[in-house]
Amino acid sequence: MPALKLRGLVKRFDAKLAVGGVDLDVPTGSFYGLLGPNGAGKTTCLSMAVGLLRPSQGRAYVLGHDVWADPVEAKRRLGVLPDSVRMFDRLSGPELLAYQGLLRGMPPDLIETRAGELLDVLGLADAGRTLVVDYSAGMKKKIGLACALLHAPRLLVLDEPFESVDPVAGSLIRDILHRYVETGGTVIFSSHVMEVVEKICTHVAILADGRIKAVGTLNEVRAGRDLEDVFVEVVGGRVATGEELTWL
Amino acid sequence: MALMPVRPVRVTVFVRLKLRMLGHGLRGRRRRVVTFAVSLAVGLWLAIAGFLLFLTSGAVGRDIGYVMASFGGATLVLGWLLLPLLFFGVDETLDPARFALLPLPRRTLATGMLAGAVVGIPGVATALAMLGVAVAGGLRAGPAGVGVAILGGALNLLLCIVLSRAVTSGFAALLRSRRVRDLAGVVIALLAASMGPLQLVISSTLGHASLAPVLRIAGVLAWTPLSAGFVAPYDLADGRPLLALVRLAIVAGTVALLTWWWAVTLESAMIGVSGGLGGSRPVRGGVVRTLLPAVLRPAAQPGQFSGIMARELRYWSRDPRRRSSLISIIVGGAVVPVALRLAPGHSAGVPLPLAVAFTSVAGAAILANQFGFDGSAYAAHLLAAVPGRTELRARAAALSVIMVPVLLVIVVAVAVFGEESGQLIATLGTAAAMYGASMAVASVLSVLVAYPVPDSRNAFASAGGSASAKGLLAFIGMVAAVVSASPVLMAALALPGALSWLVLPAGLAWGIAGVLVTTRLVGDELDRRGPDLLGEITLPS
Repeated sequence: MPALKLRGLVKRFDAKLAVGGVDLDVPTGSFYGLLGPNGAGKTTCLSMAVGLLRPSQGRAYVLGHDVWADPVEAKRRLGVLPDSVRMFDRLSGPELLAYQGLLRGMPPDLIETRAGELLDVLGLADAGRTLVVDYSAGMKKKIGLACALLHAPRLLVLDEPFESVDPVAGSLIRDILHRYVETGGTVIFSSHVMEVVEKICTHVAILADGRIKAVGTLNEVRAGRDLEDVFVEVVGGRVATGEELTWL
Repeated sequence: MALMPVRPVRVTVFVRLKLRMLGHGLRGRRRRVVTFAVSLAVGLWLAIAGFLLFLTSGAVGRDIGYVMASFGGATLVLGWLLLPLLFFGVDETLDPARFALLPLPRRTLATGMLAGAVVGIPGVATALAMLGVAVAGGLRAGPAGVGVAILGGALNLLLCIVLSRAVTSGFAALLRSRRVRDLAGVVIALLAASMGPLQLVISSTLGHASLAPVLRIAGVLAWTPLSAGFVAPYDLADGRPLLALVRLAIVAGTVALLTWWWAVTLESAMIGVSGGLGGSRPVRGGVVRTLLPAVLRPAAQPGQFSGIMARELRYWSRDPRRRSSLISIIVGGAVVPVALRLAPGHSAGVPLPLAVAFTSVAGAAILANQFGFDGSAYAAHLLAAVPGRTELRARAAALSVIMVPVLLVIVVAVAVFGEESGQLIATLGTAAAMYGASMAVASVLSVLVAYPVPDSRNAFASAGGSASAKGLLAFIGMVAAVVSASPVLMAALALPGALSWLVLPAGLAWGIAGVLVTTRLVGDELDRRGPDLLGEITLPS
């Protein structure tokens, strides 16, 4: 059973078609990269997959549970790090984690141990009572990731987890995600940074103009070439021929 | 390599720099020229008004003149103190931070900045107004009066400028931080909210038409740096020259103290550090404990309900938008019944239960756009599949932790001071019914007609357009709440005194039942339309 299954997801905003029918199977235990240029519909697509944005058409299943018909069961198995969404950022990091745990209905002592460990591992314990709103961009990503991990979900959906994160924090996040996948978890994340995707993903899908343009394991999509070349070709960006800008 | 010999920098350099920058700022930019012309006109107008005020104070009767000088002076100094704080800084043409790289001694820099600060519309306008003080001093106490007044006026001008500089550079590090800007928002909200009570106080004071209490206040002010320099000529006229000197010494001492503080803080203002807010104290006693406020710990089992309640309580104090609404509602809620009951001219006044209706209804109506305050952060609740019922009830409970004691205090105070203690029980019952009904209506509105609240620095910014239309709905909702609680109100007004205690249990039951039933119905609707609600309260990026 795939960890995440999308069937015919469509989202229309007034006249504009943001996502035009996405089918996707994310196998359990995979590290899945959703690639796409800015405005391709990555965030829209993931928002519909996790129950934050009502699709115009189509269905999404988390480990067999329909996100829109059976949200409670689906969301129990799901951890999400949204990108454009704010957190309750006028709480301190520890408060935010405790809040997340209580919202998820976790027993207090379990929240205690896990939150303490997460704060330590992510290097956020020193921030103490600083409010999340005053965190740096990298720290915000890390506390967001901690919130997504706290209830030990079976599927992680991360929207741009490496955006505006410094290399040290980025590699830390990568390590944690690797460990998570090794213990049987599944990760799908969106990105437009080829290097990261090429380094860590087992599977890749390329989304452009609201449609999947290429999908498969990393090696299938690459087919022996550089991922960046494949990406540019599939997305249809222009490649400089050397004829233009001769005056430069 | 030998360092270039250094010529000491003279104060005139700063003054010329300031003048040149003012001149350059005007060159060729129409909008700036217009702004400058407008501020020049306003400054001139204020200068003339101040001059005339102080001049008149020398020509009218002694007591009235004393009050005018004392109050006028205090207002002037307070204006210099508060305006820069409210508008996040003084005229920054000569920003200390810009001199950070230059090897200037602290003393040179401080005097230079001070001289630069006098050269400007506010400085010149204040100096003009001080001329009025000098003339009035002459009218009061002859040539010696002119001397004292000029000295006092110069000291006061210095005080004004040092005060505003010291405060802004002392708080420069703070003003850069979000917390203090939030605090400034609160101050503005408080000031805006206290306009009403101030008007009430002024009108009732004028109603009494007696100078004695005002004179007493003026006498107290005269011992503070706020108006000591302005009343010194009066002491001279009263034949107490020593006292006049003491008053001047008060001002001079304050100026010296502020200058010292300013020079010390100037360095940190130049570097622009914004640390030292004590943000990183270690967390003790576990994370759940840090989230749940002390008031909740004994009462609530840790879970979704107490979690949301705790977070809401934190947000009412930490989110500047919520805080300013809360402050306005509480101040307004305290003033309206007092005005209705105690306003001069209405001997009978409005019946007590009716007088507190606004307070009770407005106290809960603040929830009418409760999700709008959250914005996209509400996604966390959606992802955790929080039941709508729990969501709405926890939010109602959190507000009540704040609002019920406030309501109690207001109702009891109005009843006791209005000598209507007999109606207290019935009034409490009405208040409970109104508060509950308003909470119920607000819960419905918050789910069905939510709108985004921009998270700007300006606590009064609005999303405009549909937001104001939806805000109007909240007002209609308040009327609906009053109507739906009207049976309890009727009972409070109609029941004979011996039975009036019945209104309390009836009102409590009415209010609580209203909240429970509504949150149940609307909670189910919230479960269905949660994602749509999230879309409505998310600002388009």
